[in-house]
Amino acid sequence: MTVESLQALLHSSPHVWRGRETARVDARSSGYAALDARLPGGGWPIGALIEIASKTDGCGELRLTLPALKSWCQDGKSVAFIRPPHVPYAPALARNGMTLSSLLWVATDSDKDGRWAAEQLLRDGAAAVLLWSTAQEDRALRRLQLAAETGKACAFLYRSPAALKQSSPAAVRVAVSATHNGSGMSLDLMKVRGGHPGKLVLPLTRPAA
Amino acid sequence: MLWVCVHLPHLAMELRQPQQPGPLAVTDGTGARRHIIACNPTAREAGIALGMDAPSSMMREPELQMFDRSKSDERRATLALASWAHQFTSDVCVEVSRWMVWMEVGSSLRYFNSLRSLYTQIKTGIEQLGYTVSAGIAPTMEAAALLTRHPDVLPIINQSELRRAINSLPLAGLDISAKAVDQLHTTGLQTIQDLLGVPADALARRFGQDLPHYLQRLLGERADVRRRHRAPAIYRRRFDFMEGVESTDGLLFPLRRILQEFAGYLRGRDLAVQHLAVTLQHRDNRETVLQLATSAPQRNAAHLFALLREKLERIAIPDPVLAILLNAGEFVEPSIIQGDFFDDPRQENDNWSALLDKLRARLGAEAIRQLGLSDDHRPENAWCVLSDDKRDTGTADTPDRPLWFLNEPKQINDLPQLLGAPERIEAGWWTGQDTRRDYYLARTNEGAHWWLFRDVGTNRWYLQGLWA
Repeated sequence: MTVESLQALLHSSPHVWRGRETARVDARSSGYAALDARLPGGGWPIGALIEIASKTDGCGELRLTLPALKSWCQDGKSVAFIRPPHVPYAPALARNGMTLSSLLWVATDSDKDGRWAAEQLLRDGAAAVLLWSTAQEDRALRRLQLAAETGKACAFLYRSPAALKQSSPAAVRVAVSATHNGSGMSLDLMKVRGGHPGKLVLPLTRPAA
Repeated sequence: MLWVCVHLPHLAMELRQPQQPGPLAVTDGTGARRHIIACNPTAREAGIALGMDAPSSMMREPELQMFDRSKSDERRATLALASWAHQFTSDVCVEVSRWMVWMEVGSSLRYFNSLRSLYTQIKTGIEQLGYTVSAGIAPTMEAAALLTRHPDVLPIINQSELRRAINSLPLAGLDISAKAVDQLHTTGLQTIQDLLGVPADALARRFGQDLPHYLQRLLGERADVRRRHRAPAIYRRRFDFMEGVESTDGLLFPLRRILQEFAGYLRGRDLAVQHLAVTLQHRDNRETVLQLATSAPQRNAAHLFALLREKLERIAIPDPVLAILLNAGEFVEPSIIQGDFFDDPRQENDNWSALLDKLRARLGAEAIRQLGLSDDHRPENAWCVLSDDKRDTGTADTPDRPLWFLNEPKQINDLPQLLGAPERIEAGWWTGQDTRRDYYLARTNEGAHWWLFRDVGTNRWYLQGLWA
């Protein structure tokens, strides 16, 4: 029996458990092939909490999620930015292909209110929520994880790099920083449930301004 | 004709449910004529019965708390139920003193598939309002009313079955005074059949014309001419508390009931609301007004309740609440087609706008934002938060701009490495000063990309954006 026919046989039957290949994960492509290859199901896992910690503002932390957000918008789904650190700049978002009418911006001073809004949106209609929160409690993270699961949505939680030192129920935890020549972003996938943790560099197009 | 009669046997009690447990009763009359007209289960278990006079009730259960009935509250509740009932038929009658509402359903049956499903909807609807209900179905209004007293008797659908179905019932359920029933009993009459065997003129001589007329209406031999209840054009509902309510929790139960009544009224008129005022009345004519505005036309009680509850939980109630008032006079076409709640493709959109309403109710309307573009080359003015008077006017055809924007530019002293040539943006005429800005892309030591400008007039540097 050749390797090919063995492979074909293995793949033809759903009853064969194939070791490393874990249960199929519902996912949305991140838009970056190198990143998708490391994520379970080939993209951001749906119904999961994803932690993103950026060392500094302006290193690509939003461009990391933007292609997926764009694809949700194109499907007519809604995405929400909750307590972003700055004004999400409409001209730049539109230029990057985001449908502004699919984007909701929740501006509140209270971290608690922000988490509450995130839960509501995750449960009840948004395809993805980007939440900026300083919450440390495990319980707060678990609530977000549960809301994402219930609503089959993606919860992107933006945190400070220090927060990555604690354990977390998140499915994916990634630290983002800029490469020194500014031509890309360095990702440190610290945890990828069902995928492949490790470091990688994604190319970024240099701003044209 | 086919009438559904609904009777609220414990209405007086259910309107005055104070917090404390223990035996409670509602009374009518004063002095020696004060007697029980409603009581709670604890009182019933202690042997308290309707019609019992106040002193003997107290003898039987010294712990019994008695409250005077409030006819105005009963009236408001019964009329609100009549308005609610219009969702099932346009033909509604009400008798406030008997705590009864009738609905003619013969002509609307086909909209509700079957009598059973209609009956279930009516009953569960009233139970959700927080009332105990007994219902009867018959071809005449009085026969339907009679059956509310006999829950074990099957609905009477055809006029021809009517007499046979009620013949064996006792006299006690009829709408005749207890005194008259006693007199009839002493003459040996026990059942309705017995009573119907007595010639009408003999009854009239002894009890007056009303009794034979009533029996003829019961059997459908005499037309039952009554004024029909009409749903009001402007909806007002008032609910009075026995004692001031200080906690939000205490307001929720009556508020839910009021909103469910209102939702039934809206369905009956096939209308919806976008604005709603709920007023909490305090002592000395002081008020707290909750204004509710929804993003889409609404008539879903649970949704309106959730929004008001959010609002209630966010405000401090300054004083005990003596009454709740609901006022609505501006109605709009509903966005959901009646009877089509689950198949409607707009359902998803409705859920979304319901969710946005919920967020607005808690976080404030200004916290929930949608972005738009403005046709303006000045960076601060090239974007906007959409509102009723701010529409998207721009195009996506802009130069590359940073994803994060600082509406208040931040002055910087240590300049990062500048990349490329500047972009000159004239700003003089909008600040009132002669200001021009040269915008640069810059890279920090950490590799972040910044959008900076140099104020050409002052030569100061500012950070205005980040390529996130």
